[in-house]
Amino acid sequence: MKSALRWVAAIAVLSAAAFFMSDYHNDVYRKLMLWVALALGYNFLFGVCGQVSFSHFAFYGIGAYSIVILLFQAHLPLPVAIVCGLVLCVVFALVVAIPSTRLEGFYLALATLALGQLFIVVLNEGGSITGGNGGIANYRLPDIFGVRIRGPWYTAVIATLLVGTLALLWRLDHSWFGRACRAVRDNAEAAAAMGVDVARVKVIAFTLTAVLAGIAGMVYAFVDNTVNPPIFGIENAFLLLFMVIVGGAGRHAGAVIGAVLLFLLPFWLSPVVGHHQALVFGVLVVAAILFQPRGLIGLWDRFSRSRS
Amino acid sequence: MGPILQVEKLTKRFGGLTAVDRLDFEVRGGEILGVIGPNGAGKSTTFNLIAGAYGASEGDIRFAGESIAGLSPHRIAARGVMRTFQHNRPFAGMPVIDNVLVGAHTRFAARLWSVVLGTSSHEEARMRVRAEELVQFVGLGEFARADVGTLSFGQGRLLEIARALAGEPKLILLDEPAAGLTPAETARLAEIIRGVAARGIAVLLIEHDMHFLLPLAHRVVVLNFGAKIADGLPDEIRANRAVMDAYLGAATN
Amino acid sequence: MQDFLELAVGAAASGCVYGLLALAYLLMIRPTGIINFAVGEWAMVASFGGFLLLSRYEWPYPLGMAAILAFMLVLGWATERITVRPLVEKGAPLLAPILALLGMLVVFREAISVSFPPDPHPVPFPFGLGRLEWGPFGGSYQSFFIIATTLLVFIGVWLFFERTVAGKSFEAVALHRRAAALMGINLSRVTALSFAAGAGIAGLAGLLVSPNISAHYLMGIPLAIQGFTALVIGGVGRVEGALLGGLLLAFAEQMTVRYAPVPSGFAQGVPLLLLMVFLLLRPTGLLRARA
Repeated sequence: MKSALRWVAAIAVLSAAAFFMSDYHNDVYRKLMLWVALALGYNFLFGVCGQVSFSHFAFYGIGAYSIVILLFQAHLPLPVAIVCGLVLCVVFALVVAIPSTRLEGFYLALATLALGQLFIVVLNEGGSITGGNGGIANYRLPDIFGVRIRGPWYTAVIATLLVGTLALLWRLDHSWFGRACRAVRDNAEAAAAMGVDVARVKVIAFTLTAVLAGIAGMVYAFVDNTVNPPIFGIENAFLLLFMVIVGGAGRHAGAVIGAVLLFLLPFWLSPVVGHHQALVFGVLVVAAILFQPRGLIGLWDRFSRSRS
Repeated sequence: MGPILQVEKLTKRFGGLTAVDRLDFEVRGGEILGVIGPNGAGKSTTFNLIAGAYGASEGDIRFAGESIAGLSPHRIAARGVMRTFQHNRPFAGMPVIDNVLVGAHTRFAARLWSVVLGTSSHEEARMRVRAEELVQFVGLGEFARADVGTLSFGQGRLLEIARALAGEPKLILLDEPAAGLTPAETARLAEIIRGVAARGIAVLLIEHDMHFLLPLAHRVVVLNFGAKIADGLPDEIRANRAVMDAYLGAATN
Repeated sequence: MQDFLELAVGAAASGCVYGLLALAYLLMIRPTGIINFAVGEWAMVASFGGFLLLSRYEWPYPLGMAAILAFMLVLGWATERITVRPLVEKGAPLLAPILALLGMLVVFREAISVSFPPDPHPVPFPFGLGRLEWGPFGGSYQSFFIIATTLLVFIGVWLFFERTVAGKSFEAVALHRRAAALMGINLSRVTALSFAAGAGIAGLAGLLVSPNISAHYLMGIPLAIQGFTALVIGGVGRVEGALLGGLLLAFAEQMTVRYAPVPSGFAQGVPLLLLMVFLLLRPTGLLRARA
């Protein structure tokens, strides 16, 4: 119960901050929180469970596109659309997760990369359903029970999503399931000998994190009120991977650090290096991997160890 | 009480090579059965067959009266058969205590939704206490929170055993547990193994080191070219001509 | 049938380009286990080199091509030296250099992106735009040039591995790193050479394909995927597999575009679907390595 209070307090603090920000800052803040939520989920899949997947971002897209299509093309009421969107995410996740258990390491990475790309192709060729290359825009979140959720209130929704994601993953991590995931990551054969059902663990981890990404996607759809293919493409899939690596794979704090840093970096670089920022960015990522393969959280560990 | 493990006409062929040839033996609870034989005799293969890493070509393996041949390793572990590995296979990304807790995986009852809601913390605490006891039992008490990377080779061997014990097995398979240990560590190991058997757990032990094995085991099975060539008390095996012949040319330390 | 023959040369040329990319991957994967996704960007860099030297500065084609390939060899060697060697020496897990190379992918692409405007840049055809009829097959000069060059490269590489001592030591490293090191084979030299060769071959692929599609800073990733799919189809074990995989992929693409009742944009989906299918069903590829 004590821990539940901590999470609620976190939501309150993160949400309150939104009310003291301008619209522009609110927009940046929202996107930052969404990236952190995605990074936390991806970190669990990649860092804790050791599954190298490039399709995580595709599930973000599936969530976003499905809520928009279900609401504004199928004209379903919001609660129904949300439920259907979730079901779609679960179904797609299972369809991907179950065959994925047969693949290891690089093969898995490649297959999920191809899947992510295939998703973009489908979006681009989806005609009037997906809006093709241009995507879908000019819609708005419908009122919920007559209440219009806008501005900082919507930011509060995102804060709740973020904290909820962290709480969920934290609990899973510090349980037999988290240990089973790490065991699968470190030595799948030994894990099986200890009684871990490796395939089942992988499927659960994959599906769970995919659904979390899907939910984040559904929430994202109403941040810019536009969805289009490039947002969910390989660039961002790489960025997500870099966030987790640079921050420190396997640690929630690492995911947060990595996400915050790499999300805000372009904002800081841009005034300094102009449109060379992506190049500087790439160089920084490579440097981070070369000099601190354990991620920036490794530096923090060393710092705190040297103090004690 | 019947034997906990019964191996009947167990055979494993890899292409044209018969690695295990119509093997028969049994183990009872609380008994230490040693499996010895020269290199390539089929000891590890037998282990892997029992643990479910390989499927048998012919024959049956019965545990607690039920056939486990053909089951996958994690199901066999869930039934109460735990194993160690010849080359240490710790989970490198976790501290020692967590490694042992993974061994206890099949003993956790909490469902996932219970984990998510945070209602399973009692079980987690209880299991942790039990894991700490096991870590103490094998003599790694002060290393419980340490990174497995800091353990010496000998300590890693002990971790393997603690981890396997965490699963509350009725049968434990030890794959050359004394390999690479110092004499002091070896003596410690023998004590631990006797302690395990004293708890009523059946111990199936592969070993090369006869000086270690013969005083420790209650019974010994000798393999050569995949087949059993002797089965009896350690003293009988010591005097057995066929066994000595089999070892001629193979190193006996 | 007539249809097919007309397609055949063009498809074969595409297949050769994929095959070259697959070969580039293979040369780096075999001795090190490292999958270098940046091969697509290497192809892209070379095609921009082609634009620069051949279109803008109008160097004679053979000279320009040689200069570009030489540059690519150095680039490959430098990439290995800077991003791979330090990680391998530090004993980092295999994933680390792969991720670092992914970072280099971004670096290469952005370096080009800031140096040139974003539109496609033309690269000249070495033999002009004419067509050649060869028996029942017809195709552009460029297509035949691509096929001929690719065959030369593959024959050369195959001979290198089969007939030379250096090639055999390469194989030795591929089969068992530690044993090879114990036998005195210089591991880091083999790795450096494999990266240099990989870059050279990827660069060649870029140079060959760019007259048709123009140099563009986003061309790297699709090429990287097609190359890798070709590799997975053909199998990592044999050099010939790379070419076989490339040809199969190209023909599958062309057939889909021509005959399948789906919008042409879906042609991009063909390598992706094939990749997933092969990874699931036959990850070792069609050709087995020689024992």
